[in-house]
Amino acid sequence: MPSAKSPARRVSTYKIVQAILGILFAGYLLWRLYVVLIGNPEYGPDTWARFIISGIVLGSVYALIAIGYTLVYGILRMINFAHGDIMMLGAFGGYFVFEAFKAIPVPTLADPKMTFLDANPILSVVAAFIVGASVAALGGYFLEKIAYRPLRGAPRLVPLISAIGASIFLENAAQLLFGTQRRDYSNPAILTRGNGWNLAIGGTTVILPYTGVLTVAVSVLLMLGLYLLVMRTRLGRSMRAVAENKQVAALMGIDVDGVISRTFIISGALAGAGGVMWGIHLGIVYYYVGFLPGIKAFTAAVLGGIGSVPGAMLGGLFLGLVESLGPGILGMSYQLADVIAFGILVLVLIFRPTGIIGEVLTEEKV
Amino acid sequence: MKKQLRLGLNAGFTFGIVTIFLFLIGFTGTSGDLLADLFSNKNAAPFFGLTPQMINMIIFLALVGLWAGSYGSRKSKGQTDDPWAPALIGGLTAGLVHGVLVGLLALLVGTLNLNNVPINMYLAAVLPAAIKMFLLGGSPVQGAIFHLILFTLTGFLGGLLSRGVARGSWRVRAEANWKNNWDGFNQKPFIKQVRGNPATRYVVYGVLLVLVFLVPLVAGQYWNYTIGTVCIYVLLGLGLNIVVGLAGLLDLGYVAFFAIGAYTMALLTAPAPQHLMWSFWIALPIGVVLAALTGLLLGAPVLRLRGDYLAIVTLGFGEIIRLLSTSDAMTSFSGGPKGVPSIAGPTIFGKPFNSGADFVYLIFLAAILIIFVTNRLQNSRVGRAWEAMREDETVSRAMGINTLTQKLLAFAIGAAFAGLGGALFASRNQFTGPEDFTFMVSVNVVAVVIVGGMGNIPGVIAGALVLKGLPEVLRELQDYRVMVFGALLVVMMLWRPAGIIPSSRRKMEVGTDAGVTETPKEGSEK
Repeated sequence: MPSAKSPARRVSTYKIVQAILGILFAGYLLWRLYVVLIGNPEYGPDTWARFIISGIVLGSVYALIAIGYTLVYGILRMINFAHGDIMMLGAFGGYFVFEAFKAIPVPTLADPKMTFLDANPILSVVAAFIVGASVAALGGYFLEKIAYRPLRGAPRLVPLISAIGASIFLENAAQLLFGTQRRDYSNPAILTRGNGWNLAIGGTTVILPYTGVLTVAVSVLLMLGLYLLVMRTRLGRSMRAVAENKQVAALMGIDVDGVISRTFIISGALAGAGGVMWGIHLGIVYYYVGFLPGIKAFTAAVLGGIGSVPGAMLGGLFLGLVESLGPGILGMSYQLADVIAFGILVLVLIFRPTGIIGEVLTEEKV
Repeated sequence: MKKQLRLGLNAGFTFGIVTIFLFLIGFTGTSGDLLADLFSNKNAAPFFGLTPQMINMIIFLALVGLWAGSYGSRKSKGQTDDPWAPALIGGLTAGLVHGVLVGLLALLVGTLNLNNVPINMYLAAVLPAAIKMFLLGGSPVQGAIFHLILFTLTGFLGGLLSRGVARGSWRVRAEANWKNNWDGFNQKPFIKQVRGNPATRYVVYGVLLVLVFLVPLVAGQYWNYTIGTVCIYVLLGLGLNIVVGLAGLLDLGYVAFFAIGAYTMALLTAPAPQHLMWSFWIALPIGVVLAALTGLLLGAPVLRLRGDYLAIVTLGFGEIIRLLSTSDAMTSFSGGPKGVPSIAGPTIFGKPFNSGADFVYLIFLAAILIIFVTNRLQNSRVGRAWEAMREDETVSRAMGINTLTQKLLAFAIGAAFAGLGGALFASRNQFTGPEDFTFMVSVNVVAVVIVGGMGNIPGVIAGALVLKGLPEVLRELQDYRVMVFGALLVVMMLWRPAGIIPSSRRKMEVGTDAGVTETPKEGSEK
């Protein structure tokens, strides 16, 4: 919203209302924290530890997907609404790798029913990540080429509507292709969901699941890789240049369309890896699996200040934690965890569209 | 020649992938049934061992092949002459590639099927019966060869037809001739008189209105239900048209207002969770007003946001309303996931008004009222302010428009229309529940507005007819409907961002019609 700033800093009623509401909300939150932790503790420390573990794992997946939103937004100033569905494609890619490996028998003396999947867990997981990320990257590339590139320079609503259309198309094409049923992700035996290290917290044991550790480790690796790519390589430099100013970047000899294509490939690959993690950790994949994580990852990107990569990472982690801790702290039922996530989205966009954590962006960007 | 080969290869690959996709989602089989309905030859005797469905599928595939060929034989960019040989070669290449791809698919699925691999466990639509039909009952190799020959032939034919017929010299002449005749016809004094006369319009509208009012009397229960749904979507579309089309605010949570109207009607009139059992006629305005108030309440903080952020916030709001209505927390208040049954219908002078045809008339009345209101609004000061705001907010503010008030007004009026639609919807179905208010409803309404033509009343009506009416007519396409919605949204944005029936103002703004921008040039030359 291009608006002229008044020369003198006046405090508008809107700002005052905002501040009062903010203080009230913070007070309520502190009071709830007091009640839950000290006053009338409903859960022991072991439960909180479980919440935090699941929050961090979820958050690292959100962070990966959020990076895709942020990269694309930074360059094209558009919300890639179909990003969640690209993640779904990646999740299906990994699913089919596991299913295919499971169908190959590798009988050994000890276990005649051994399958390739259980015999080579590391290879299987790596293959699943590679295939999932490549499928999603291809999806991102063609999405940009078909649905967004011809619309460059069109009014803002036009590519957004096109993105919504692409999202609906992808979801329903997946439904027609793979059916409506929810499919179980068949992990290698070592990575069976629920298995993990036992930690003794507050007198009881808390399981630190292997799948969760794998998810966090892979996403940290990928984020480091992305950071190096954006900061240290020629492609990263041209991406930053295009994000800054397309015309000038083109004058400097940068192939703007190529850079945009590559951005979509990178963000698609990250989302695809996120999808495979989602499948391995949460174990369910179906055509609609990308919708909610997509919206939540967008929330995360906005939380961190859209357009900023570290912001998206922090925002994702923050959102994952809020989602798993929020219902416990606010004393709501777990059915309403998504309401909390959407509530945060609405509140942040209304009160601080530049994000809580990230830098304050210029008016033009927001 | 090299260029044409590349065009042909490109077309072949594109169409090959499309055909494979169509097979994988089971559309090739459906196309057979669909054409069987069209030709009404479902129960005809087999012909050389081919069932009528197979023959129909071949017809469909041949059409796709023709299209591929004609696409492969198109002129490359900037090419002025149009010789025969490259066009034919382009078509043939496209057909060959298309045929090879589909043939490989036939070979693959056929072999897998022979070895009893349960393909449909992973690809839901690839049932053994579908594979058998795709291979025309033969072996995988026979099927593959058949598809190779079919697509190569049709590709070549497509190139031939498109060069010979669509781009041939006689066609160009005929087109010019036809255009001349049409212009001459328009120049006739009588036609001019009829066209320029405002009375003509009233007569046409009157006849249309009478015809529309006769329809529910002849239509059966099912069709009345469908007509009712289409009309409710016209209501919703017109409401969203004010928000999106006129004021330029993309609202993806429009379903929230629809839900508020429906739930108000439900809770006030139904016996179940609230024991109120008020009359329909009291609940209706309350629903409308409540929806409008919610629109104001939501709009006040949100409308400062720029376009795409607004879309996401409204989406979040719509999802919050739906999640709340499904959650256990609200079960005692609004029925929770089970919904609210036995909602009252309207009564007039103690006489219940609930049969299918009666209700259609009620919805008609509401639709006509809304069309009237929208029409008056659009041409009023407010409507012009909205359109100015949509085009350039800063400039419109400089012209003295209070943009925040105008946006709030648009939001509230749009919400009120949705509330009316929701109340009528709940009362007609006599039931409402959270499944009626998914995100897809918002998307459907957005699609109605955009496909029809943003900011345009006839466009919205056409959009509702196309998107909600056509799928009912083509029942076989039910499964594919939502996917086609998505594709349509993309395609409309790429080719006709102004919609099927673009509003005249919009047409100038979006500039799809080249003539509009060129008119002043011609004028200055003269």
